[in-house]
Amino acid sequence: MPVGEWEKVLWKKQPHPDNFIPSDSFFSSLRKNPNFKPYTYGPLVLLSCAITQHLATIFTFIAVFVRLKENLLDPRVLLWTSIACFLVGYMLWEVLNYSDTQVVYGISSRTKVLKSSLLVFLALMGLSPVLRTLTAATSSDSIWAISAFLFILNALLADYSSMKPGIPSQERLTSVLSMNAAISSSVVLASRLPDDLAVFSLVLFGVQLFALLPILRHRLRFIPKIMQAFVTALISIMCIALTASLSISVSIIYAAVLFSVTFIAPALLVWAQKYKNEIRGPWDVAVPRINWPS
Amino acid sequence: MDPIAIAMISDFFHPNVGGVESHIYMLSASLIRRGHKVIIITHSHPPDRVGVRWLLPALKVYHIPFQTIASSATLPNYFTFLPYFRTIILREHINLIHAHASLSSLGQEGILHAHLFGVRTVFTDHSLFGFEDAASILTNKLLAAALKNVDAVICVSHTGRENTVLRGQLFERAEDDSSTSIVRKSVYVIPNALVAQQFTPRTEPLPLDTINVIVVSRLAYRKGIDLLVVTAPRICAAFPNVKFIIGGDGPKLNDLLQVRERHLLQDRIELLGPIRHHDVRDVLVRGSIFLNTSLTESFGIAILEAACTGLYVVSTHVGGVPEILPENMISFAKPEEDDVFRALSEAIKIVSEGRHSPMEAHERVKSFYDWGQVAERTEKVYDAVLKSPPMEFRTRIQRTMDLGPFAGPIYTIILIVECLFFLFLEWWMPREDLDYVHMHWDQARFAQV
Repeated sequence: MPVGEWEKVLWKKQPHPDNFIPSDSFFSSLRKNPNFKPYTYGPLVLLSCAITQHLATIFTFIAVFVRLKENLLDPRVLLWTSIACFLVGYMLWEVLNYSDTQVVYGISSRTKVLKSSLLVFLALMGLSPVLRTLTAATSSDSIWAISAFLFILNALLADYSSMKPGIPSQERLTSVLSMNAAISSSVVLASRLPDDLAVFSLVLFGVQLFALLPILRHRLRFIPKIMQAFVTALISIMCIALTASLSISVSIIYAAVLFSVTFIAPALLVWAQKYKNEIRGPWDVAVPRINWPS
Repeated sequence: MDPIAIAMISDFFHPNVGGVESHIYMLSASLIRRGHKVIIITHSHPPDRVGVRWLLPALKVYHIPFQTIASSATLPNYFTFLPYFRTIILREHINLIHAHASLSSLGQEGILHAHLFGVRTVFTDHSLFGFEDAASILTNKLLAAALKNVDAVICVSHTGRENTVLRGQLFERAEDDSSTSIVRKSVYVIPNALVAQQFTPRTEPLPLDTINVIVVSRLAYRKGIDLLVVTAPRICAAFPNVKFIIGGDGPKLNDLLQVRERHLLQDRIELLGPIRHHDVRDVLVRGSIFLNTSLTESFGIAILEAACTGLYVVSTHVGGVPEILPENMISFAKPEEDDVFRALSEAIKIVSEGRHSPMEAHERVKSFYDWGQVAERTEKVYDAVLKSPPMEFRTRIQRTMDLGPFAGPIYTIILIVECLFFLFLEWWMPREDLDYVHMHWDQARFAQV
């Protein structure tokens, strides 16, 4: 082999054959995991709380539905609980807004809230006879399958990210789809219930859990970590307690799911990071840096 | 070396236009000039470009009736190509197949089938791919599977070679120490070339009072048109004697039209729309600086064409671009607005002071790149491949199993089914019944007539 300086150029005639591979400079521009910040276990567990909370609300809803269907729960109790929850939640929202100086809500926004909540309340009340007979011609098996599918869709598409206070959140398509799936699921489940009041209270409960609670939860992401863990534990225990008296085996499954989402899944992610091998080099599409606004 | 019969296989060929297409054509023409027999296998373009066609000079093209799915590529199906492939390879007495472009499934299938006929394989990779998105991961695995059994790989630039070695996992165990893996010996770098006669500079020099900056590119995100959109108005404001002439079409055309309108630069930025390849020279000679803002580029033939036409080149420092020209013929910029502005301003200064000679640039590029040399270097690869011992079937299966716990068995099954299918074809269409080609185009006889 002729000895000479090899250069990484194409225009020059090299003193080496075309398959010559310079042992020192080959792959010299290759970088592995350049912007790699390893996750740590603690913060991941806290981040997974959002998922745990969401799953726990779904489980709670199912438990409440079963209780209504088996006549173990008076619909009026559920109705008053829902209204109480709404008032508590709204007060919490107001307190959070009050403590956050960046957002200014006037009296007009409050009347708007009152108007729209009354509207939803009355519309649901008017619609509940229709909803009750909505799926009379469909067999219950199909309803369980549909609602299971819709809840899975809801859990998969839900927006678990945190919202920065003061910045109006951009509703993404997936989170809207997720909410719609959950509401549809609660409607089809409610149509299995025997009387109008039960249907009304269940759908109202569903709207609160799947439409209003996620909005509140976004804000709660900025409360102290210990509070967050406490809220998560509270919802989880509630859903397991509600299910335990119905079926021990199901509640064990729920507990296992919630435990693995909160503690095992982050551990898996932390462990899997050692296999991370991101390859970067001059062949990557460059990201143009532009001084916006032009 | 002795004349051999070569089959070039790729989904990308004439009547489509592009870098790969013209590379295959020019390489084939140069190999024919060196006395080899070359045929091309590609997919058909219904309604009119079907069956067997001849192209100048004595290039036979087989169009296989396959449907294309996207960007003129066919669906990988592994087996339906074998009957066509077997017939063509046998009747044309092919010694070696040369597949082009990593996204061409015809090429990959050709590499897979070639061993059944004792035909050797060479593969040329023309493009760069990342490793992060799902499409890359999938196509890289397909490529790795195809390249397990290829005899030699040619890449068009050194950066491209590093990329292909990583994507195709072109490693083998070291001979002295089986625990370490080294890059395979059969990975070559042979650049593209250009026909310098088609890109001659203008004979009378351009007036120095206005300087035209030429951009000829597909107007797409990957070509960095966003950088052009923000840099052009700044250059126009800083240099009142500079004009932009932009050729090409694509999704980013609207951005250019908008920026031209917003800054009232209708007389400073000229948009030519789509340009045919043989008109490119006529556009290039109108200017003295060529601007390329690509975000990725494996070779950058457009830059060479511009440099050959005598333009001073300003380009982003990406992919294989830094390798193609010596530093005094090209200015590099980082893919950032401010740096492109800086590099272009410097280039305008160099050109307006007359420090760049178009004729000299043309002569230099002509001496750097030549298809005859490319064909000669490719011929050496063919020679090395034909002299190397062929891979045994057992080694082939072993190598395929090395692909991974999932892909390995899948591809081994494909390999075995392919062999059974081949045996079936041998019985169903016996070799004796095939129509063999006895006469090929004979340039000497044609000249005589």
